Amino acid sequence: MNKEIFSEIPMRTWNWLGVNEAVVDRDLLVESQNLDIKIEADHQEKMIVEYRKESYGIVNINIGENASLKLTQLQLMPQDCGHVNEINVVLEKKAKLQLVAVETGAKSFASKVNIILKGDKSQADVSLLYFGDGDRSLDMNYVLEFQGRKTVGNLEVYGGLMGASQKIFRGTLDFKQGSKQAKGYEKENVVVLSKGVRNRSVPIMLSGEDDVVGNHAVSSGKINEDKLHYLMSRGLSPAEARKLVLEAAFNPVLELIDDEALRQEIDSYIKERLENE
Amino acid sequence: MEKLLNIKNLQVTVADKEAEDTSKEILKGIDLQVNKGEIHVVLGPNGSGKSTLMNAIMGHPKYEIAGGSLEFEGEDLTELKTFERARKGIFLSFQTPEEIPGITVENMIRTAKQAVTGENIKVIKFRKELKAAMKELQMDESYAQRYMNVGFSGGEKKRNEILQMLMLQPKLALLDETDSGLDVDAIQIVSNGVKKFHNEDNACLIITHNTRILKQLNVDKVHVLMQGKIVAEGGPELIEKIDKEGFGFLQGAE
Amino acid sequence: MAQEKTYIEDIERTLYDIKNVDKSKYKSQSGLTEDIIRDISARKNDPEWMLEFRLKSLEVYNQLSLPNWGPDLSELNMDEIVTYVQPDAKMTGSWDEVPEDIKDTFDRLGIPEAEQTSLAGVGAQYDSEVVYHSIQEDLVKQGVIYTDMETALHEHEEIVRDHFMKLVPPKDHKFAALHGAVWSGGSFVYVPEGVHVEIPLQSYFRLNAAGAGQFEHTLIIVEKNASLHFIEGCSAPKYNVTNLHAGCVELFVNDGARLRYSTIENWSRNMMNLNTKRAVVGKDGVIEWVSGSFGSHVSMLYPCSVLKGENAKCEFTGVTFASKGQNLDTGASVIHCAPHTSANISTRTISKAGGKATYRSAVKVTKNAPYAKCSVNCESLMLDDISRSDTLPTMDIEGDEADIGHEATIGRISDEAIFYLMSRGISEDEARSMIVRGFVEPIAKELPLEYAVEMNNLVNIELEGTMG
Repeated sequence: MNKEIFSEIPMRTWNWLGVNEAVVDRDLLVESQNLDIKIEADHQEKMIVEYRKESYGIVNINIGENASLKLTQLQLMPQDCGHVNEINVVLEKKAKLQLVAVETGAKSFASKVNIILKGDKSQADVSLLYFGDGDRSLDMNYVLEFQGRKTVGNLEVYGGLMGASQKIFRGTLDFKQGSKQAKGYEKENVVVLSKGVRNRSVPIMLSGEDDVVGNHAVSSGKINEDKLHYLMSRGLSPAEARKLVLEAAFNPVLELIDDEALRQEIDSYIKERLENE
Repeated sequence: MEKLLNIKNLQVTVADKEAEDTSKEILKGIDLQVNKGEIHVVLGPNGSGKSTLMNAIMGHPKYEIAGGSLEFEGEDLTELKTFERARKGIFLSFQTPEEIPGITVENMIRTAKQAVTGENIKVIKFRKELKAAMKELQMDESYAQRYMNVGFSGGEKKRNEILQMLMLQPKLALLDETDSGLDVDAIQIVSNGVKKFHNEDNACLIITHNTRILKQLNVDKVHVLMQGKIVAEGGPELIEKIDKEGFGFLQGAE
Repeated sequence: MAQEKTYIEDIERTLYDIKNVDKSKYKSQSGLTEDIIRDISARKNDPEWMLEFRLKSLEVYNQLSLPNWGPDLSELNMDEIVTYVQPDAKMTGSWDEVPEDIKDTFDRLGIPEAEQTSLAGVGAQYDSEVVYHSIQEDLVKQGVIYTDMETALHEHEEIVRDHFMKLVPPKDHKFAALHGAVWSGGSFVYVPEGVHVEIPLQSYFRLNAAGAGQFEHTLIIVEKNASLHFIEGCSAPKYNVTNLHAGCVELFVNDGARLRYSTIENWSRNMMNLNTKRAVVGKDGVIEWVSGSFGSHVSMLYPCSVLKGENAKCEFTGVTFASKGQNLDTGASVIHCAPHTSANISTRTISKAGGKATYRSAVKVTKNAPYAKCSVNCESLMLDDISRSDTLPTMDIEGDEADIGHEATIGRISDEAIFYLMSRGISEDEARSMIVRGFVEPIAKELPLEYAVEMNNLVNIELEGTMG
């Protein structure tokens, strides 16, 4: 199978780590479905994008001045497919973006998100949930670029990995010169449930501007033993306790999904995977 | 006799957070004079401009003087930078003191004392004085080697402010809510510190919500600040009245 | 109120910019050919295997390309680097025998004073040869070997052969291969089992001839349950021609042993500092790195710790200060390959006046390393908006029993902190200076006093302007 570079991190690092580029099967990139959206100034919109069959989806968005968009992207592909998706957003002055992304399907997938906070005081809040099991591979590359003054970017990522799944998450906060008083926060919490997992994280922070506040944190470990113990002391079996704790870990993203049915679907999907381990 | 602090018709603005390139007027013409040996108190509801007044006297760059005059010992302060004002003998005890990691309390106070007096401070003599002052404020000696305010509780930070005041011996001490967040014992210690500091050659200007600390001190004059203006002035009896009735009786007294 | 422009003046360099007239009696031809390698090897009286090693390394060097990441190295022209310069002095045992002008340079840089205080021995390198070496008598009695690499190669051939470039093989990268081919000078330290070297050993480098490269090799072996603190500090004068430093440091920390390796790198502003440092740690062993990077035009420095034995531990504390014209790309990496290993990486970077500071790190936990614990903390301070500060950490974790945390922040000196100090009568310049010194304090306090003082001097900043 021929491979092609799908995305790269904004600044290369050591080659031996294997995280500089995301490489995908060329076949997956052959036909893309494009969605170009413009949110008019002062308008507020909501959108849901669902991926359920083999596809390469590209969503390009421009959010006008003082407008806002809540975009929920759910990748719920069957477990034997490959998948690639891409989101590009440009925010004008005072525009707001809320992006809720769930990546739980596909045998192997690569996604990239590029958000440019172009206008002054624009803001992006991104919440991502990913889940891997079996021998699936997950590859994500998120970039928040701060151009305008007083821009705000929040990137919160919650992940769960089991089986022999492999994952790479790259999250970049890029403060361009001139993005005075910008504020950027990134956090990734990963819960690892099995010995066969390979978990790679690349939290990048680039800055050409001193008058900013940037902060990122990554934590990776197993499920909190204390929490498990507490639940088991209330009568839950180890399996039930694990499910509950994981659910709690994912909740910050799940509760942002407006559609009840979709939320349930994802919830059940993850629960089922946990049971099958 | 020359006044220590002479404020006339002071107007102070701050940049508006919401509207770009415009400023909000916080102090709308303040008249206030403090003489040597006096203790003045500024009372007022939240948002009335009390902290702004303190910061403006100290020269915080966030605040612009839009009009009026601000003099210390007959000298105009408005063109002087913050550290120059401190060297003239003004001290501000902060409401929320900053943490400065990597710089010990002892190191910082000694550097400040050198800056303010212009003299070379001998280490051993200084340490002795510092120890004594810390003892007075019931601060454990170990705090001298801790990094400035890092990991200090609210009460410990406030005590550190008073410690600095005792060591730097300013002519005018501005105390911004020095007693807030303290328990009864701590308030006693702080007010003892202020009492020890205060004499006929220096003066204090105190902002507080809580009138408990004032009961320990001989207050000369009380100013009530509301919405950027002084709406009432009087002696210590004004404190009691406000304690009992709140600020209500002053509403509408523009 | 008028807002004056803010500018910061650079670090005082006159003390370090002393030049001696080049009296070197020998200079190899520019460029890198097999003949040159044979020549160097012959003059050093290398054993046969070392000549072979050098030649093989040259082959590897010619095959490898420059890294496709990191700072731009295109201005490096190997043909112009004179690789080997032998200064006008033989190896001596006492300070008195060292030639006057060389001694004078070291005097001005404070070496004899250091010798007089609590240091056990001083190895001072001048242009690729170790000029002076001394070691205290009781160290010798304890069986501690502290000598230059050339002497070690001849007198302790077996030990050297067993360890030389085993941690950093020539095929690792182009500059490791270069090093393997032309290495010269450096320190060799061997601490026998159970010996605790109480006083820090110190080594000092010096680069004088225009266009000369520096390829010293440091090899330290700390046997079981022994301990050592080694200090490396360096300085070089300013030249127009690019100077290259491709040194190599290999540290072998055996079971239960402890090694602290402190460095202040203060090479002059035209230096290309491409140093490779690596440590391997055995069961219950500990490696502590304390690192300050200040000088150089371009620096690529990423001390790597391989935690090979159970319970092995690594502590890394570093500061990097990039100013005008500097591109300092530094960091650390830790590889956990045994159970219950742990690491703490704590770094600070400062950038100003157009300097570029890049922090790069890797934490790798292999399948064989359950219960690994690692915490990485990186804080970056930017002093203006014409500089750059970039953070590129990576975590690669296998298994489910690792506990890994990483945190980084970026920002400027807070206006409120400056106002606070100014309200105590401290001038704006001094306030800024204090805050920056406070920022690097966690590193300063890990260094011996004279180094901490040197470091604080390096951080001296002159500022003019308002906070606005």
